[in-house]
Amino acid sequence: MTMGIFGIGISGLNTAQAGMATAGHNISNAATPGFSRQEVLQTTNAPSYSGAGFIGQGVEISTVRRIYSEVLNNQLAAAQSLGGAYGSYAAQIGQVANLLADPQAGLSPRLHDFFAAVADVAAHPESVPSRQTLLSSAQALVASFQGLDQQLQEIRNAVNTEVQSGVELLNSYAQQIAQLNHDIQFTEAASGAQPANDLRDLRDQLVAQLGEQVNVSVVRQGDGSYNVFIGNGQPVVVGAKPFTLVAAPSPYDPQRLALGLQAGGGVVMLPEAGLQGGKLGGLLAFRTETLDSVQNALGRVALGLGQAFNTQHALGQDLGGLLGGDFFALASPAVNFNSTNQGTGNLTVSLGQADALTVSDYRLAFQGINAGNDRYVLTRLSDGRTTTLDVPSGTGYPAGFSVDGLQLTLDAGAVSGDSWEIRPTRSGAAGLGLLISDPARIAAASPLRSAAELTNRGNATVSAPTLASTAGLPLPADIRLTFDAASTSFVVSGAVPAVAPIAYQAGTAITLGGVSFSISGQPQDGDQFTLSSNTQGVSDNRNALALAALQTVATLGRDASLPGASASSTLQSAYAQIVSQVGSKARQMEVSQQAQTQIIAQTRQAQQAVSGVNLDEEAANLLRYQQMYQASGKVLQIANTLFDTVLQLGR
Amino acid sequence: MRISTSTIFEAGVGTMQQQTAALLRVQQQIATGRRLLSPADDPVAAAHALEVTQSQAINAQYGVNLGSARDSLTLEESVLGSITSLLQDARDVSVQAGSAALSDADRNTLANTLRSRYQELMALANSTDGDGQYLFSGYSGATRPFSETAPGQVAYAGDQGQRLIQVNPSRQMAVGDAGPEVFLRIPAGNGSFVTGADSANSGSAVIDSGTVLDAGLWNQPGNSGDYSVRFAVAGGVTTYDLIDNTSGDSLLTGLPGTGTAPLPRVYASGSNIVFSQAGPPALDLGVRVSISGTPQQGDRFDLRRSANQDVFQTLHSLADAIDNLSGAALTNALVAQQRNLDNALENVLTVRASTGVRLKELEAIQTTGEQRALQYSETLSRLQDLDYAKAISELSQQQINLEAAQKSFLKVSTLSLFEFI
Repeated sequence: MTMGIFGIGISGLNTAQAGMATAGHNISNAATPGFSRQEVLQTTNAPSYSGAGFIGQGVEISTVRRIYSEVLNNQLAAAQSLGGAYGSYAAQIGQVANLLADPQAGLSPRLHDFFAAVADVAAHPESVPSRQTLLSSAQALVASFQGLDQQLQEIRNAVNTEVQSGVELLNSYAQQIAQLNHDIQFTEAASGAQPANDLRDLRDQLVAQLGEQVNVSVVRQGDGSYNVFIGNGQPVVVGAKPFTLVAAPSPYDPQRLALGLQAGGGVVMLPEAGLQGGKLGGLLAFRTETLDSVQNALGRVALGLGQAFNTQHALGQDLGGLLGGDFFALASPAVNFNSTNQGTGNLTVSLGQADALTVSDYRLAFQGINAGNDRYVLTRLSDGRTTTLDVPSGTGYPAGFSVDGLQLTLDAGAVSGDSWEIRPTRSGAAGLGLLISDPARIAAASPLRSAAELTNRGNATVSAPTLASTAGLPLPADIRLTFDAASTSFVVSGAVPAVAPIAYQAGTAITLGGVSFSISGQPQDGDQFTLSSNTQGVSDNRNALALAALQTVATLGRDASLPGASASSTLQSAYAQIVSQVGSKARQMEVSQQAQTQIIAQTRQAQQAVSGVNLDEEAANLLRYQQMYQASGKVLQIANTLFDTVLQLGR
Repeated sequence: MRISTSTIFEAGVGTMQQQTAALLRVQQQIATGRRLLSPADDPVAAAHALEVTQSQAINAQYGVNLGSARDSLTLEESVLGSITSLLQDARDVSVQAGSAALSDADRNTLANTLRSRYQELMALANSTDGDGQYLFSGYSGATRPFSETAPGQVAYAGDQGQRLIQVNPSRQMAVGDAGPEVFLRIPAGNGSFVTGADSANSGSAVIDSGTVLDAGLWNQPGNSGDYSVRFAVAGGVTTYDLIDNTSGDSLLTGLPGTGTAPLPRVYASGSNIVFSQAGPPALDLGVRVSISGTPQQGDRFDLRRSANQDVFQTLHSLADAIDNLSGAALTNALVAQQRNLDNALENVLTVRASTGVRLKELEAIQTTGEQRALQYSETLSRLQDLDYAKAISELSQQQINLEAAQKSFLKVSTLSLFEFI
C-alpha cells in the first residue's frame, strides 16, 4: 500500500520534472526559428483493483508532442516563398528604375544636350567650336548609353552570381533535408515511434528555407520522410537521397546562368516557367521580364537614333565638301546557336530598317522539309507571333528574309530540330560608338544648291534642293533647266542619265534621281535654273536642320507587318516608354511585396498562435509543475511518515 | 486567441519599421523637393515628366535659335539701313548733278563723291557677322562675295543659298539674304525695257524711261526686244520712224528703214511715241516712250529689253556720266541711271521690309515660346514637385506615429509574468 503511495508520488515528481523541463525547453527556444512549442501529454497510470474499486496509481507521460499545424505551416511557407520572389524582384527592379529616371544620370539629359548641340551647329554651321561641342555631346551620349548598359550588365552579372549562390544554398538544404529524413526515420524507429519533435521542426524549417529560394512541393511519405520537388516536379530530395542542382549556362546564351539538375552524366535544364516562387524565381522572372526587355529597349533606342542620324548625315556634306559618312557605329544583331544543334546550317542576321525593330528576342527553328520546302519558323518571344519562312530545299540557299527590321540570311545544312536565338537589340546600347572625331567631318551642309540665273527675265524662283539619296554625286556637271515657253516645259541639260523635258507646273516638286526641288512663279522663255555642287558652302545648315529635326520625328515603332505603317514614337518617347514600363512593374512589385508582407505577418501570427511560445504561459506552467513537484514531494513525505508509523507499531 | 511572445516582438518591430520607412520617405521628399523619388512612385507621371522635360528643352533650344536668328536679322537690317541711306545720298548727288548751273569742276567733285559711295557700298556688301561669316554670300559664308574685276564690273563669288534657322516646331526662318537678291537682281530701266540716247545724237532731245502698256504684248516670244526711234528733219518738220534694230526694217512700214525724210510719223516734243498702229502692217508691242526737246537729223534713241543691272554698275555709270558728259547726253544718262538707282533702292527697301517682317514674326514666336515654357514648367511642377505644406504636416504625423509605436511597444514588451515570480 505505502509502496503505491511512493510510486504515485514518484510518478508525480517525474511528470512534474518532465513538465518543467519541457517548459524550460520552450522558454529557451522561444526565439528559435521554426520551433514549435512542445507539451507533455500525461495520462493516469493503470489503476489497481481493490474490492472497493479502482485505486489510481498516479500519472505517467505518454509522449511529448509539438503543437503543430501542417496547414498553417504550409501556408506560411508558401507565403514566404512568394514574398521572397516579390522581394528579390522588387530589389532588382528598384535599381533599374532609379537608374533610368535619375535626372542627372539618366539618358534623357544627354539626349537633350546632344540635340541642343546639333541645333547649335545648325545655327552656326561654320563654327568649329560648335561642331566640337556636338562631337563632345555625342561622345557623352554614347557614353551614357554604354554606361546604362554597363550597369544593366552588372545587374545581369549579379543575377548570375545570385543564381550561383542560390543553387549552392539549395544543394546544402537538400543535403540537410535528406540527412534529416534519414535521422528522423532512424530515431523514431529506435524510440518506438515517439515523434522526433525537434528534428521534425528542423526539417520543416529547412523546407521553408528551401521554399524561400524557389517554390517547392513536398510529398510526405508514410515512413515520415519528405520527398521535395521543385519547378515542374523535378526531385530535389527523395527519401534520404539528395539530388544535385547546378547553375549551368543556358543553351542559347553562355553568359546566362540557369538552373539545371544533375542527372546521370549530364545536366537537364529546368524550364524557367516552372520556377516561380522564391528568391530565385523572382530573380529569373526579373531577368526575363524586365532586364532583357529593358536592355533590348535601350538598345533599340540606340539603334534607332544611330541609324536615323547616320542616314540623314550621309545625305549631307562636310566642311571640306565631302559627302557625310556614318556618324555612329551600330551594333549588329546577336545570333546564338543552340548548343545542341546537329546541323551545319548557318544563320546570319544584319540590321535592316531600324524603325521596325521590336524589343523582343526571336527564336528560329528548322522544322524539316514541308512540300519541297525547307521550313523554318521564326517566333517572336515577346508575344509568340510566328512567321513561317520556306526555302526551296537544296536550291533556295542562301535565302534572305526581312522580318521586323532584321535581314536574315540562311545557309543550307540545318537538321530538323536545330534552332537559333536572335537578340536584335540586346547589344545595341553597348555597341553604339562614335565614328567621327574631326569636327570638320560633321555634314551640316547639303551637297547641292540651286540658283536662278541673273539673266532670267521672269520672276520664277527655285527652292533649295533636298536629297533622298546621294547616288550620282558629286555631279559631273551642273544640271541646267532652261524654260521653253512654247511647250511650257524645262529642257534639262547636264543630268546623268539624260532626262526628257519636264512640263512646268508652278510649285510642283521636280525630282531628278535622288534630288527634288520646285520652281514657282512665272518663268520667261529662256530662263535658266541650275543645280550645282555646293562648293564652299560652309554656312549651309540644311542638313544640320534635318538632323536636329530627328529629335521630334518618329523614328521607332513601325509595325513591319502592316504595309504602309509609319514609325510611331520618337527617341524620347521610346525612352519614356521604358521608364514607364519599368516604373509600373516596380510599382506593381512594391505593392505586391507590401501586400505579401502583410499576408506573411498574418499567416505567421496564425501559425504562431498555434505553435509559438508564450512566456507567460510557460511561466504559469512552470509554477504549476513546481507546485505539482512540491505536492508530490509532500506525498512522498507523507508516505514516509506512514511508513514510519508502521515501523513504530512493532517497537 | 493565443498570442506567442515572439509575435508581440515581431509585430512591434514590423510596425516600427513601416513607420520608419514612411518617415524616411517623407524626409527624402522634403530634402529633394521631389514628389517622385522613383518612377515606381507614379510611373505615368514619371514618363510624362520625361516627355515634358524634352518639350521644355526643345522649347528652350528654340529660344536660343530665336536669339541667334534675331541677331543675324538685326545685323542684316542695320547693314541694309546703311545701304538705304547710302543709295538715297547717291540719288541726291545725282539730282544735284543735273543742275545746269554746275561747272565741270563741280561735277567732277560730285562724281568723286559717288565713287567713294561706290567703295563704301562695296565694303557694306562684303560685311561679315560676329563669326566672321560674310552676310551676303549665301551658303559660302567663308567666301568674300563681291570683288571688282574691272572698274564698275563686280563679280559675285557666293551662291544663292538662304540660311534658315528653326525657330519653332513648324517654322524655319530665313536669317539672311544672298547677295544677288540685294545687289544684283535689279531690273534696269522700267523693268521691261531700257531707253537710251545714242552717243552721236546732236539734238537736245531727252527720252524718258518709257511705259509698259501691256506686258503680255511686250513679252510675246516673237519680240526681238531691240528697237530704235530715228529722227529726220526736213523743211523744219521733224519726223521719226520706229526701227527694229535686229532686222533694220521699219516697224511702221515693214520696209527697210531709210532714214530719209519725211519719215512715217511727225514728232511733237513731249508727246507719247507709241509702239503700235492699226496698220498695215499692224503693230502693237504694248509700250510707249516720251521724247521731249529738239532732235536733229539722224538722232536716234534706243529701246532694249531690260536685263538686270547691279547697283555697282549703276553707281559707276552715274559717276562716269557726271564726270564725262554734259547737256542732253548728261540729262539722258541721268534719267536712265537715276531710274536704275531708284530700282536698286526699291529692291533694298523690299529686302529690308521682309527682314523687318521676319523680326516682327520672331517677336510673336518668342512670346508664344515663353508662354509655352511657362506652361511646361507648370506641368512639370505639377507632375513631380512636392507640396511642402502637405509633406511637412505628413512628416510631423509620421513622427508622432513612430513615437507612439515605440512607446507602446516598450510598455507591452515589458509585461511578463516572470517579473512577478
